[in-house]
Amino acid sequence: MAERRGATVELRAVTKRYGETVAVNELSFTVPAGRICVLVGPSGCGKTTSLRMVNRLIEPTAGEILIDGQNVLTEEPTALRRRIGYVIQQTGLFPHQTVADNIATVPRLLGWASERIAARVEELLRLVGLDPERMRRRYPAQLSGGERQRVGVARAMAAEPPLMLMDEPFGAVDPIVRTRLQDEFLNLQRTLGITVIFVTHDIDEAIKLGDRVAVMRAGRLVQYSPPAELLAHPADDFVAQFVGHDRALKRLGLLTVGGIELDRSIDRGRLDGAPTLSPATSVRDALAAMLVADARAAAVVDGDRYLGAITLPAIGRMLRGDDAT
Amino acid sequence: MTPDEPLVRWDWVANHTGKIGFRVGEHLELTAIAVGVGLVIAFALAFAAVRLPALYPPITLFTGILYTIPSLALFAFLVPYTGISLLTAEIGLVSYTLLILVRNIVSGIRSVPSEVRDAALGMGYTPRAILWRIELPLALGVIFAGIRVATITTIGLVTVTALIGEGGLGYFILLGMQQLFSTPLLVGAIGSIAFAIVADAALVLLQRALTPWTRLA
Repeated sequence: MAERRGATVELRAVTKRYGETVAVNELSFTVPAGRICVLVGPSGCGKTTSLRMVNRLIEPTAGEILIDGQNVLTEEPTALRRRIGYVIQQTGLFPHQTVADNIATVPRLLGWASERIAARVEELLRLVGLDPERMRRRYPAQLSGGERQRVGVARAMAAEPPLMLMDEPFGAVDPIVRTRLQDEFLNLQRTLGITVIFVTHDIDEAIKLGDRVAVMRAGRLVQYSPPAELLAHPADDFVAQFVGHDRALKRLGLLTVGGIELDRSIDRGRLDGAPTLSPATSVRDALAAMLVADARAAAVVDGDRYLGAITLPAIGRMLRGDDAT
Repeated sequence: MTPDEPLVRWDWVANHTGKIGFRVGEHLELTAIAVGVGLVIAFALAFAAVRLPALYPPITLFTGILYTIPSLALFAFLVPYTGISLLTAEIGLVSYTLLILVRNIVSGIRSVPSEVRDAALGMGYTPRAILWRIELPLALGVIFAGIRVATITTIGLVTVTALIGEGGLGYFILLGMQQLFSTPLLVGAIGSIAFAIVADAALVLLQRALTPWTRLA
């Protein structure tokens, strides 16, 4: 896959009013190129309205939305939408079209040659982990929930958009499939470097996927931070409550034991009976393993190599230390 | 009809095959024109109603009133204006198809899931392309249900137009009643029934061919 850069998206004082009701109030934030920005908040907070203003499915009452510096309000809406990927919760796959035809939607609208479309469909199906031979000619009704979401993502990426808008794309599948889809999506996004604006009401999903998390309440942006920052320093009581009382544990979930400083002074021999962890284990999982084993420390090993120990007091210090900064 | 007269005189049938064939063709033609013209008018009315929902109640009222007029009365009413003609027959026949066709086209289009429409719009379909390439194909099942009812109704009504000189197989029914002769009466009646069954089956096959996504394992 060719090296591509995502688009930079900037919202400037974007407002949407319906009569007297203000759905979105002076929303301003910038999503850097190639990053995932997650809009999160309770229902009715304006997150979906905000998303839909980016591709002009909803027209802002005031403000500007810039994609790579160009105001979307000066563009022809259908042309704009064809260069922005769009994925929604119920997938919106066309029931009367095969998987291949669904994925070919935007390339066809853009008038690509049929050989180029066929090659692209094949490439995309592989990219989202579906077997082209088995899937190409199926109809949406013949797919599982997870397969449908994969096709929905492939369809949105078909014309290599620099920006994708995703409205609770993994909301309708069971938790196990959702976790897998999230992991695959993160991989894909990192590989392709697409900019993503992602809407969810699930704070855990926001923390997992977001490079930046925008917490919204009643049409306003309450906090816009990287997830670790959001968990360490919630802007107010609303955000603190929204991220949950277990935000300390959630922060540990963002760190891996390979990414923190380990205690090398503890000899491997003293950790007999303590859990043995790989560097990719999250600190949260490490803590759980230590609690289950009733151990105050765990050994971190990379293959055969002993890297050091992670200890309960160190985890405690980490949380307190981060809080102090 | 005398008591010793057989119900069907096969020699009469054998001697009139040419005439029967001609009337079958006429029946087919009257039906096809009525349903075809009815579809064109119904699509125009339905598209207007989908675009401007305020138009739907008056359209339903108008087509509903047409539908309630007794067919014999309608033909009798039209003859002074349009004469004993194909036009008279078709005005009546087309009128009776409109209510069911408009209603089914509109509800078929409205039954398209909103997220499908949203996805299409969000990916850059124009509203016109959404109608033709998304909404109409997905509405085909409901539209075909309407076409089937309209076709069967029309096949029945065509027999009534025998009274104004058209009629297809209805000609034989009228002939049989006038001459108290059961053979043509049965030829007309059974012929129309058979025609309706064949037409309905053909429409079912056509619908299946056009909507392969609706019969999935």
